[in-house]
Amino acid sequence: MATDRSKRRAWTLGVVAAAILTVLALTGGVLTGLRSSANLIVTPFNWTVNEIARPIGHVFAGALNYSDVVAQNQKLRYQLGQAELKANENWPLERQLQELSTELNVPYVGGLPMVAAQVTTVSPTNFAATVDISKGRDDGVLVGMPVVANGGLIGSVIATTPRGATVRLISDVNSAVGVTFGDGKSSLVVTGRGVNNGLVATSVPLSTAITPGTKLATNGLEGALYPPGLPVAKVEKVSLTPGAATYNLTLRPTADLRHLLYLDVVLWEPPA
Amino acid sequence: MPALLVTLFVVAVQLTVLSALRVDGVVIMLVWLWPLAMGLTGFTSLALVTALVAGVFFDTHTTTPFGLTAAVALVLAYGASRLGREGVGDLDSAAWYVTPILAGVGGLVAPLLYTAGGAFALNFNLWRGSVLAMMIVNATAFMVLARPVTRLARAVSHAGERVRR
Repeated sequence: MATDRSKRRAWTLGVVAAAILTVLALTGGVLTGLRSSANLIVTPFNWTVNEIARPIGHVFAGALNYSDVVAQNQKLRYQLGQAELKANENWPLERQLQELSTELNVPYVGGLPMVAAQVTTVSPTNFAATVDISKGRDDGVLVGMPVVANGGLIGSVIATTPRGATVRLISDVNSAVGVTFGDGKSSLVVTGRGVNNGLVATSVPLSTAITPGTKLATNGLEGALYPPGLPVAKVEKVSLTPGAATYNLTLRPTADLRHLLYLDVVLWEPPA
Repeated sequence: MPALLVTLFVVAVQLTVLSALRVDGVVIMLVWLWPLAMGLTGFTSLALVTALVAGVFFDTHTTTPFGLTAAVALVLAYGASRLGREGVGDLDSAAWYVTPILAGVGGLVAPLLYTAGGAFALNFNLWRGSVLAMMIVNATAFMVLARPVTRLARAVSHAGERVRR
């Protein structure tokens, strides 16, 4: 009797699970459905933990870092003033550059439309360097669009929902960006090394003249995933293995990837 | 039911607190320590369910291959429950350092399992992150947190048993 009941229960559970999976599959993918259902379930728990943890964190942060925060605030005000001054000084040059780029048929990023967004979540895992942002398909954000912040390229959009998107940072192990430097004749591929671990470029031919401090920007070659001229990284270290025909570069991203709060999605789609 | 609720809280702590509190850029994976601790209490099926729930809920919040965190959590839970059933790592009968050492080994092995599992999901780039740092940080954190988390796991398992009866 008990076995019959448990068999019936197992069948019912199986049918319900199959029905749910079918509905999820028909309405936008099983994984998307699973993600939204899991989000829905975890949200109240997240909220509760956040409400408890945030004030405790603030007390500690306030007690330990107050003078640092005040100093940082003053420094930022000074930097903002400097940036405003520079922007005012540079606008005629920027306009000139934009006009020249238009003539040369090069998409200059300053002239491309952008959508400002806020970072809502930073990837909770060690194995993916991604952030979730507050703008999605409804605001024109599409998969593949480059994302800039803090003075440089930070990554590209890899997934979108109507009101949000996921951005893969250039430090992610699956990220690869084509870059160039100097006169733009040489190209390299910059890859990520994981969260907070900077970037690398490997197998760089010895004929490439590159020194620490060299700035790298996207090359925008035909079929590239990014428009040209986006600052990506600065060479920190050049390593040469004795006897090797190539050297490796350790790079520091131009944009500070650790403190992302606001960013801009460049409304530029890579060629299909 | 108590185990499920606590597991959801563990996932919430992982997502909201621990993802922001990185040690040398590494996130301490409580979603792996929790099933391991549940396993050490000796309740195999409960530990496996906990591992599955914690892993799947965590996986839905990341862009890494779906199910990989859950798979690693299941392996840890199963391994720990085999030891737990033998009384190894029991908080009362075993030496005080056994549980932290077992948890430390779990923390050391888990990132490796994850990276190896990535190959099955055709993602061969996971090893390029700092796996060694992940192993060291997680092993240390698991050792420190092992006893309090296992104590909580034992209380939750017993509460679950009482509810079932």
